[in-house]
Amino acid sequence: MSAQATTGPINAAPPPHSEAEQTARLKQTLLRDIRRSVYVFRIDSGGCNACDIEIFAALTPVFDVERFGIKVVPSPRHADVILCTGAVTRAMRMPALRAYEAAPDPKIVVAYGACGCSGGIFHDLYCVWGGIDKILPVDVYIPGCPPTPAATIYGFALALGLLDQKLKATHHVEADGEQAALAHPRVPQALRVALEREARRMAGYRQGHDIAERFLTLIAQDDAKPIGQRIADFLARESDPRLAEIMRRLEAICAAGAGGAPP
Amino acid sequence: MFKLLKEVFRTGNATVRYPFAPLPASPDFRGKPQYDPERCIACAACTIACPSNALTMETDAAAGRRTWEICFGRCVFCGRCEEVCPTGAIALSPEYELAVMRRADLYQSAEFSLTPCRVCGANFAPRKEIDYVLALLVHAGVPQAEAERRRAVVETCPACKRAGDVGRVVNLDRLHQMETIP
Repeated sequence: MSAQATTGPINAAPPPHSEAEQTARLKQTLLRDIRRSVYVFRIDSGGCNACDIEIFAALTPVFDVERFGIKVVPSPRHADVILCTGAVTRAMRMPALRAYEAAPDPKIVVAYGACGCSGGIFHDLYCVWGGIDKILPVDVYIPGCPPTPAATIYGFALALGLLDQKLKATHHVEADGEQAALAHPRVPQALRVALEREARRMAGYRQGHDIAERFLTLIAQDDAKPIGQRIADFLARESDPRLAEIMRRLEAICAAGAGGAPP
Repeated sequence: MFKLLKEVFRTGNATVRYPFAPLPASPDFRGKPQYDPERCIACAACTIACPSNALTMETDAAAGRRTWEICFGRCVFCGRCEEVCPTGAIALSPEYELAVMRRADLYQSAEFSLTPCRVCGANFAPRKEIDYVLALLVHAGVPQAEAERRRAVVETCPACKRAGDVGRVVNLDRLHQMETIP
């Protein structure tokens, strides 16, 4: 670990730690056929501890990563996998590099959580490096804030070559004449706005939007039954008094609006 | 001992089968933001709402392009993009298997074309957004012919509206309104 000479400004980020070709080859072997337990060393490089709680949750009997032989060890000298959480604060950069150096080759570095992957919500803070990959060569990224225990298991399965990667980079280019469809074209615009506003007033911004969407879907669908009956049936299925209260309010708005009812 | 074994068999196995069997996420779980570029109008509301700048939008006015991008590695799954999206183009899904080997796979992007201003000719607003606004006007009860006439106003950039041409454009609109008032 030597200080790299840089020609840029004095506070510019040094290039991330790189690994030798030999090590990279060894790591491929480790990934392909590891025939023993995997020892994980966890570096908390300035995280909020939510990631650490989720790692602990993955060790509990419900998720039980130890059934795959994944074991958390207290020293980097035993580690095969280095699991890094946190956005890499200035203070934790050197300890993280020292822990990386202390682990025997070949080793897999896993960036855990939004902060570990790219700095997350702290990415542009003055006191963080913004992601493990700024200082170490990362092999697997596990996004999430924090990742659930299931996402953790998936990430480890990916790191050890048991499962395939699902997420792929995509790029969409707008096609000629592509149009964004209007939401609920059968419901008058003013009524839709009034319903959404009332639902959001009563249930909060996101849940209110969800409830308004369900209500609009109910009233706009093709059905021989009258709207009141449809809503009553829906509420009987859901049996939630809070939802019933909001839906009845929306129904009243629907009835009050002149010509509010859709065809 | 027998009592203990009885208890063990009564309790059964608490460990989930994941990853050998799928593990469904609980209701209202906030997973990967699912993006539908066909429904996106490139209005940039989500990029302003995003607290961690996982959503970004870059406008290349000279080339007439606007690029929307999400980095799943930076997303904190708060759902604010879903709240503010006027067309429902982005919504959180129960998908949580997001781990990747290459950093480039954490990105999803979409490219949209811009419409030039009728007065100065500079590209300023996404074509889909303008079309959506006019479709919304028609849906709100504005006659089709009137909406087409208003296109001239909508397709003028704010700078040109401010810089004197606004008088001409708005007066045209007002004159037209006076004509239509019986």
